[in-house]
Amino acid sequence: MSLGQDPARLLAPISDNENARMTWLEGAEGDPPFDAVLGLRPELRDLYRAFYGKLWDEQLLPASILELCRLRVAQLHECESELAVRDEGAGVDQEQLDALAHWQESDRFSAAEREALLLAEKMPWQHHEITDEEHAALRAHFGDEGTVALTVGIALFDANCRLRLVLGTEPVPIATKAPASATGPIY
Amino acid sequence: MSTKPRVSSAIPGEEPSFGTALAHQPGLASAFGALYGEFWSKGTLDHRTKEITRLRNARVTDCGF
Repeated sequence: MSLGQDPARLLAPISDNENARMTWLEGAEGDPPFDAVLGLRPELRDLYRAFYGKLWDEQLLPASILELCRLRVAQLHECESELAVRDEGAGVDQEQLDALAHWQESDRFSAAEREALLLAEKMPWQHHEITDEEHAALRAHFGDEGTVALTVGIALFDANCRLRLVLGTEPVPIATKAPASATGPIY
Repeated sequence: MSTKPRVSSAIPGEEPSFGTALAHQPGLASAFGALYGEFWSKGTLDHRTKEITRLRNARVTDCGF
């Protein structure tokens, strides 16, 4: 089984992950753990909120596309802290969540979602294997503007998982309207 | 992996590059510039450490750009 292919990873109790509870840095109490740790450098945290939050604040892509890609990248990293966050307003249904680990074999995803998920599948560990043909198909769906937004978004999803895993932020299940905003915390 | 630009330049007269591709999303480009500028211009890490880790990360990810 390849990385992130076990659908049970998405649904398993977060406390089952042996890496889930290591916490090297403590941020301010009451804030979401990832945001609180970033808050140890408040200037960087605020600018990161403004950057990451633009994906949702300015609705650069459909929220469902962002949510599917965010969760797929988190599955690939087996990042319980990122998987614990759900965007309830994104319009991703439970059947899609159940099928996400094997999206290539599922008919639950639209053509645009499949193009986006292919990029999400390859960027974390196989970025050199994205072909010109695959990228051309992506641009056909999203255009240059959408392709740039999606690529930045997936890069940030990937970076966030790496940050969360290395910094050891605790997973805290939360349902939110947007995982980040310039005017609020990063969940 | 292709080394040909895959996204056009958003700035007329300029070649495709990281900056001119990102310019297709001016809000993202501006926010990224502010964040990255803060990282490089301030903080507790010295400039040499940041540059060494930047170059090592580029090597690990095999990013010739």
